[in-house]
Amino acid sequence: MPRPPGKTVVVSIFLLALFYLTALFAPFVAPYDYTEQNRAFPHCPPSSVRINQPTRWGESLLYTHPLKLADPMTRRYEEDSGVRIPIRLLYDGHLFTTAADAPRFFLLGTDDLGRDLFSRIVYGGRISLSIGIVGVLISFSIGTVLGSIAGYSGGWVDNLMMRLVEVIMSLPSFYFLLALASIIPPNLAPGTTFLLIVVIMSFIRWAGFARIIRGMVASLREREYVAAARALGAPRWLVLARHVIPGTFSYSITSATLSIPSFILGESALSVLGLGIQEPGASWGNLLATARNVQYLVNYPWILTPGLFIFLTIISFNFLGDYLLERFNPRSVVR
Amino acid sequence: MRRVVCYAIVALVLGGCSSSPEPPKARPQRLTTANISDPKTFNPITSIDQSSAAAVGDLFEGLVRTNPLTTEQEPFLAEKWEFNKDGTEWTFHLRRDVKWHDGQPFTAADVVFTFDVIFDDRVANSLKHVLLVDGQRIKVDAIDDYTVRFTLPRPFAPLINAIGAGILPKHILGASLKDGSFAQKWGIDTPPEQLVGTGPFQMTRYVPAQFLEYKRNANYWMKDDAGKELPYLETKIQLIVPDQDTMYLKFVSGQTDWHAPRPEEVAELRTKAEQLNINVQETGLDTGSTFVAFNRNPAHYVRDGKRDPRLVWFTDKRFLRAIAHAIDKQSMIVNCLNGYGKPAIAEVSPENKLYHNPNLTDYPYDLDKAKALLDEAGYKDRNNDGVREDPEGNPLEFSLTTNAGNQVREKMCSILKEDWTKLGIRVNYRPLDFQTLVEKVNSNFDWDAILIGFTGTIEPNNSANFLRSSGNLHFWQPSQAEPATPWEAEIDQLLDQGSRELDPQKRRQFYWRIQEILHEELPVLLTVRDQRFLAYKRYIANVRPTAWGLYREELLRISE
Repeated sequence: MPRPPGKTVVVSIFLLALFYLTALFAPFVAPYDYTEQNRAFPHCPPSSVRINQPTRWGESLLYTHPLKLADPMTRRYEEDSGVRIPIRLLYDGHLFTTAADAPRFFLLGTDDLGRDLFSRIVYGGRISLSIGIVGVLISFSIGTVLGSIAGYSGGWVDNLMMRLVEVIMSLPSFYFLLALASIIPPNLAPGTTFLLIVVIMSFIRWAGFARIIRGMVASLREREYVAAARALGAPRWLVLARHVIPGTFSYSITSATLSIPSFILGESALSVLGLGIQEPGASWGNLLATARNVQYLVNYPWILTPGLFIFLTIISFNFLGDYLLERFNPRSVVR
Repeated sequence: MRRVVCYAIVALVLGGCSSSPEPPKARPQRLTTANISDPKTFNPITSIDQSSAAAVGDLFEGLVRTNPLTTEQEPFLAEKWEFNKDGTEWTFHLRRDVKWHDGQPFTAADVVFTFDVIFDDRVANSLKHVLLVDGQRIKVDAIDDYTVRFTLPRPFAPLINAIGAGILPKHILGASLKDGSFAQKWGIDTPPEQLVGTGPFQMTRYVPAQFLEYKRNANYWMKDDAGKELPYLETKIQLIVPDQDTMYLKFVSGQTDWHAPRPEEVAELRTKAEQLNINVQETGLDTGSTFVAFNRNPAHYVRDGKRDPRLVWFTDKRFLRAIAHAIDKQSMIVNCLNGYGKPAIAEVSPENKLYHNPNLTDYPYDLDKAKALLDEAGYKDRNNDGVREDPEGNPLEFSLTTNAGNQVREKMCSILKEDWTKLGIRVNYRPLDFQTLVEKVNSNFDWDAILIGFTGTIEPNNSANFLRSSGNLHFWQPSQAEPATPWEAEIDQLLDQGSRELDPQKRRQFYWRIQEILHEELPVLLTVRDQRFLAYKRYIANVRPTAWGLYREELLRISE
């Protein structure tokens, strides 16, 4: 009887669902275009949200005061409390926003070019959250197919494939990533660049996974039910697909969940080094890269918020992975 | 029992307080600075990076040195000099009181040796190209022990600004030049005491990735106005830190005595000036220039006999002018430089008082005007997809790059990209790491548009390699066999004339005209120059920073 999920797991699932939904409906959730530069508002702090007592129908419930850059050198802003800018909810196709010609409302402040950080985080989530899923799908499909072929066939096929896996595993992965990322031609669309980065990352990661699958398959094929299927004359592919590979799923699912974070972190690392998603495209990694400066950290702490999102996502995936591991494979958990 | 303990504690605390404060110790005559990377070599001739140059900067001295206040050359190891009427023979009279760190006398033989090294084919160095006159070497002869004559094939005005290279000891390195091992001499594994120069300091220790340590040269030749021996400082320490942030933190925590802050650090340091006991002083604008250049090299565009349309746009003055109106310099200053900077108009920095051309007017930021210019030149959006097409129907699309890791330039590129996108141009922006970038610019010419900078020098002819159409740093189309355009031919000619004219006032007309041509033809589109600062502890006396470096650094002293 599996243990019901604990509170942490429920919270993790809820957070992940929230993040993925936000990313999916990014144009609706984000109040502004994520590349829109409000150059008069560099490093603007988060705007204040104030509650209005509506006096007539249709009046906005929330409002903010406009900010003005009083000193570009210290980035000091002054709030003009005499003017109210209504924050409109469910307006113009956005969850909340201000009128097109009104001053902007910056929920999480802005970056150095005056771009709304909240909008950038919401759009950046599309990259950061999907890189893990896409990457895991690619690397695990390659890993499962090659690993099970090697494990099931044995002999020289197995030998050859495992030597290939060893070669790939022995590549210093981070430097290899750097080298590959630097040869991406500059004139590719951001979407293509993104896909290439995922493919590059998956290319390295499938190897270790293939090795484990191969081991599992090599042991599974000796089971009686597999022998029975073979004796009944089932073709090889059918035995493999129907009876052997499903046996590895408990491992794949947990392992996939646990390796999503490494893709997210890998993308962040590449972005921090300037090789991941390029400006003005946003990913949590490259948003965080702009916070790589003591001055910014001290004076504009809000630019660290993308880090919080990375942290929450990764820890949620880890909790979820742990839970799945326990559920699918209770014997492996030492208590 | 507990009470006894309490008393004991009280007594201890009071005792700690009542002990009379020690008399304040005199601050040691020690200056600590920081630099970002390790030196690559201690050989001042073959070094090409800033850290290597900084590591041995206090060890070696040239015949003359620049007075950064006047940007003129002043006597240094040479106490005076004269030249003949047509400027082809320069005679330098050396100081007689100069000794090498090992006690040997400094003589004309060392000067001749140093220039032999610079002109030697086996020694790759960056000084060579500024000293070659039409490809020929300058003849350097010792007349006697303390007189050196430079004989030139033709009048060559840049000479005096180009001979400040540190003089090397012949008695130590002479043999290595003969056997061809000079270029490998004085690597970073050399014991510091073997690095013999004439300068105010001697290196005593180098711990890689940690610090460089120097001690005062007790036999230094220079005296202060009162006849007291220089330098005043006993020790200098240069810490090696991993990055700018560490540099800043070390300064704020008092571990270093000075710091050249980045724009975003200036305001903070100014507000903390009292508390940190520092002065934050403006030193001047960037002496170099940061600009956007478009690749005009046919080698990049002609493929399979077909000419890529980008070559046509990038050599079209109307296109370039439209782009020039779409560079938001004011925002670059506010957003990228925290307000500390000025728009760059002329290629030579205003800090170069003599050669900066002040008569140019900027292309104001005006996207509507830029759009009108593009329309007029026939770049119109014919299929309403938001991207303009040239008259042949090719969509305006090109890539833009800069060196990755330089946050200011990356931000500037984001601003450029957004504005150019508004004009109806598809810009593919991707920063590249510096090595890849250099390779693209210098060897395979595989780039469209680039945001990059050059450092500035006082001698305008030192950028000849960049300005001359045959120069290998002429980077919109390097190493041309024949000037590709009439204006490039004119620049070549002006450079020749400028290097022959010895009167500075007449000479500068040629360089002013070059800046005018660059401003008109726009092979490079200048962006902004940042305001530089120096922050230093108030106990350091005689700090006089300028855009070109410290004035009379040997006078630095720790006061109190």
